[in-house]
Amino acid sequence: MTGLALAGAGFGLMLMAIFLRVPIAAAMGITGFLGTWVVLGTPNAVLSQLKTLPYDTFASYSLVIVPMFLLMGNIATRSGLSATLFQAAADMAGHRRGGLAMASVAACAGFGAVCGSSLATASTMGQVALPEMRRRGYSGSLSTGVLAAGGTLGILIPPSIILVIYAVLTEQNIVKLFAAALIPGLLAALGYVITVIVYVQISPKAAARGPRQPWHVRWPSLLRTWPVVLIFGLVMGGIVGDWDWTREGTQALFTPTEGAAFGLLATLLHGVTLGGLGVKDIAKAIEESAVATGFIFLVLLGAQLFNTFLAYTQAPRDLAEMILATGWAPMWIIIAMLATYLILGCVMDSLSMILLTLPIFFPIIEGLDTGLTPEQTALWFGVLTLIVVEVGLITPPVGLNLFIVNRLAKDVPITQTYRGVAPFVLSDLIRVGLILALPMIAVWLPGLIG
Amino acid sequence: MQSFEQVVDWLATALAVLGGVVLLAAAVVVCVSVTGRALPGVPSMVGDFELVEMAAAIAVFSFLPRCQLSAGQVSVDVLTEQMPRGVHAAFGLLGHLLLTAVSAVLLWRMWLGFGEKFPFGSETARALLGLGQPPYFTETTYELLIPVWIAHAACLPGAILLVPAGAVAVLRAGRAMGEART
Repeated sequence: MTGLALAGAGFGLMLMAIFLRVPIAAAMGITGFLGTWVVLGTPNAVLSQLKTLPYDTFASYSLVIVPMFLLMGNIATRSGLSATLFQAAADMAGHRRGGLAMASVAACAGFGAVCGSSLATASTMGQVALPEMRRRGYSGSLSTGVLAAGGTLGILIPPSIILVIYAVLTEQNIVKLFAAALIPGLLAALGYVITVIVYVQISPKAAARGPRQPWHVRWPSLLRTWPVVLIFGLVMGGIVGDWDWTREGTQALFTPTEGAAFGLLATLLHGVTLGGLGVKDIAKAIEESAVATGFIFLVLLGAQLFNTFLAYTQAPRDLAEMILATGWAPMWIIIAMLATYLILGCVMDSLSMILLTLPIFFPIIEGLDTGLTPEQTALWFGVLTLIVVEVGLITPPVGLNLFIVNRLAKDVPITQTYRGVAPFVLSDLIRVGLILALPMIAVWLPGLIG
Repeated sequence: MQSFEQVVDWLATALAVLGGVVLLAAAVVVCVSVTGRALPGVPSMVGDFELVEMAAAIAVFSFLPRCQLSAGQVSVDVLTEQMPRGVHAAFGLLGHLLLTAVSAVLLWRMWLGFGEKFPFGSETARALLGLGQPPYFTETTYELLIPVWIAHAACLPGAILLVPAGAVAVLRAGRAMGEART
């Protein structure tokens, strides 16, 4: 059997296992193990690799960012930051039609700036904003739809866990990836606000107006969001910013790992001093982070084993050569990959999708002539991937954000949430098209970092 | 069996919280190191990189059992949900059995890996524990010269607890299958 056929068989077997409810980490790990056994004719190589592979995979200075950002987000969730953000945004926009929905988007964006996870953002903002919108007579579809979509800002706006994994897998610079995702993330928030405006134009009954708050209410309310501004400024500013103009190039204050450590401790400090966090809350936050971290790292380990198998078959290289030899337009190849993510995203979570496909997609991306430098192409593709895998979180049947928000609104049937989120999915797709057409949106900012 | 589940569950939570404390400690180390670097005249900290890497592995391993018990290992249910409930539940059981088998294999290999780093113990004790031959020299980290077996040992509680945690998940899946039949 050729390497390509073998890899294809392994891939098929793994997908079958995944669709038959085998946990994704186990499906990847077992097929990887068996596949390498078949290629090498003996299990001994993998067995001896397994003695240290788990430790070596987890003991990573870059990947420690993932549990740190998760814990940071979970602590922020419990220290009332989401309510402060929503209150400020609601005071600013509440008097407009659909203003609370716009405020939800803004608050989600703000929370996304200190949280790297979509699910945490959707759930915490849902708890704060949903009762408020329902009380003011917002329709079930708009209020749940906007929160499910807004939740994805948790990952679209850096820091973002998916980007950390992408950076490690493709050996890209995390700092530049964060920078690349910043403008598209802000565009996402803007797109959602515009979607709300159009939404309430078309169905004015979906939303109500509140009283206009005078500035002597607005200012204090805005000022209360300082912890978020400070933490985001410290983390992202410290990682991406230039702190020493006297010296050549960008002198960042610290590395992404250091930024994550500072952000985590700053959030914790704020939580215990001003956020009313007790030991029990911190333990709960750790427990929640443990569940998410455990999943991410076990899938990562499974993917390591599967990739070892793929590498032995040499299929990724052969396939990349085959596809590049066809001479198809780079744009169509990229669009086909993004479409694959959209389809897979209907049934699979973002991380598993990326781990499954990147070993095959990335060698192809590296060989494409997009008119950008190889690094720019990698950043551009990373941002596009990030957006389309996040669309999976808000598309039925398994869009997790939809369920999280819908569970909070007991009187709203899930079909209404599906309907409510549809315009926001459309706004995501328009943004993908925009960034496809204008790669500069993603690659301009990282270009400033020398 | 209820008490077995409760014990494993309690242990998993306790271990996860400990792992969180290790993670926070790593964050403190990093912040101290960065602050020291920024202050003039303070000698820069050596080996923070190594400490953070060790802490990362220890934290992640300590988190794994909690994740397993909270059904944190994601599986794709859309297809099997279309099948009869009993079949759906049976595939759930199969998945958990496979995951538990994977945890057992991981523990087996990691135990051997630990034996290759751990230099102590008489020949009989090592043979009884299945640790194999002791290493010729004690491998240490580069800067702080910490023996690496310590970090590997600190990861073992998580790897060990992952197996009973898997067993609990199998028990639960088995019960779900029983319920689906009735």
